[in-house]
Amino acid sequence: MQMPAKASDAAVLMRSVSKWYGQFQVLKDIDFDVAKGERVVICGPSGSGKSTLIRCLNRLEQYQSGQVVVDGIALTDDARSVDEVRREVGMVFQHFNLFPHLTILENCTLAPMSVRGFSRKAANETAMRYLSRVRISDHAHKYPSQISGGQQQRAAIARSLCMNPKVMLFDEPTSALDPEMVTEVLDTMVGLAEEGMTMICVTHEMGFARRVADRVIFMDRGQIVESAEPSVFFDAPKHARTRLFLSQILH
Amino acid sequence: MAFDFNVILDNWALFARGTWLTIVIAVAAVAAGFLISMPIALMALSHRRTLRWIATAYVEWFRNIPFIVVLYLFFYGLPFFNLRLPEAIVGTIALAFFASSYFAEIIRGAILAVPKGQMEAARAIGMSYFQGLWEIVAPQTVRLLVPPSTNTSISMVKETSVLSAITVAELTYQGLVVQGETFAPFEVFLTTAAVYWVVTAIFAHFMHRAERAFGAAQGAHQARSSLADKYLLIGARRPA
Repeated sequence: MQMPAKASDAAVLMRSVSKWYGQFQVLKDIDFDVAKGERVVICGPSGSGKSTLIRCLNRLEQYQSGQVVVDGIALTDDARSVDEVRREVGMVFQHFNLFPHLTILENCTLAPMSVRGFSRKAANETAMRYLSRVRISDHAHKYPSQISGGQQQRAAIARSLCMNPKVMLFDEPTSALDPEMVTEVLDTMVGLAEEGMTMICVTHEMGFARRVADRVIFMDRGQIVESAEPSVFFDAPKHARTRLFLSQILH
Repeated sequence: MAFDFNVILDNWALFARGTWLTIVIAVAAVAAGFLISMPIALMALSHRRTLRWIATAYVEWFRNIPFIVVLYLFFYGLPFFNLRLPEAIVGTIALAFFASSYFAEIIRGAILAVPKGQMEAARAIGMSYFQGLWEIVAPQTVRLLVPPSTNTSISMVKETSVLSAITVAELTYQGLVVQGETFAPFEVFLTTAAVYWVVTAIFAHFMHRAERAFGAAQGAHQARSSLADKYLLIGARRPA
């Protein structure tokens, strides 16, 4: 695993993080670093702890031991550090989690106004800029249920970008989509990667991983089994478990 | 035996005053009960065990004893602590607490029915727990709250009759007064029953309209979406 030269170069630092659900240990002593501007894809079988790992980065999940530093801010039990980190970390969910009672535009302006204290005008301008970038500005005044799944997921990406995050987390962003809508979401993510956004994506879209990832990580049973750049990861994986997993998902 | 309308006509002013007081007490107790229930519901959903325990104890206490006993506890309990208030106020307070235990359960259920991902998304974009609750979760509970709240509110309108036991001059009490003077219980209580029916029916009508208004406002843009059905857990209303 490549280590960032100094802590300030790291967008994310995880040090021996462990988490249990009762008796079951989901994360086993995880060390994980992401440099600024780096794109990391995390894959692995279901239940391997990959979603849990990224959810620990913005404290949607608690962990029992270990240390997490995001953008130089150490996550502690202090609610303020959690809020601080969450403002800098965007998250895109498998099921979009758009707010159904608000229009797409309102979905995008709510947090900038209530958390960052933007004026409605400034928030609208920012939102429209990002909505154009994900090519759904035409739907700004519709409600989430009136647009397709792919459009909803792009709106959810725009909603995160409106907070101007330093790191974007993607938790299986295309798993709940109809096949014909996967590409439009992946294209949006590729565009984001090309602009230099630090991205951590849990996904099984291996074409996406090959194309944009600086590093691919394979997790199994709560551990990081393999971590390598895509060419090495796909063509010469070291571990038998990785090879088995790849043979299963690449058909 | 003939139905003697004069019993009603001669005493219409008492019935009218009683009806008015019944309406005032019911509205005040339901409104106050709803306000009291909100922190109770949030405590019931807290991850702190002590708060959950307090909320459970509160709800179980009020839901498992008859309202007349709750009323007597307030009526005799408050003077015990040197707090002397008019009966009508004591009765309203007792009914508000009694109602709040039912509302707390309704609110708790409605909040649980909103998918967890909604609060997670709110927190993930930096909103606080209370911002998420107020801006994201609460608006999505309204449609789920109205039907069961209507039922509970109507029950509370009827429970006001128990206040006659501590001499609050609401409708049932006035009925007892008229009956004592006229010795015509059937006329009196048939009239009383009719008035309760009219009051609750009018109330139910307005709540039903409110329910349809919320349904229409949300249904209009969610009519075709199965995802909306999933989110709101209620079949979206389809425009004919």
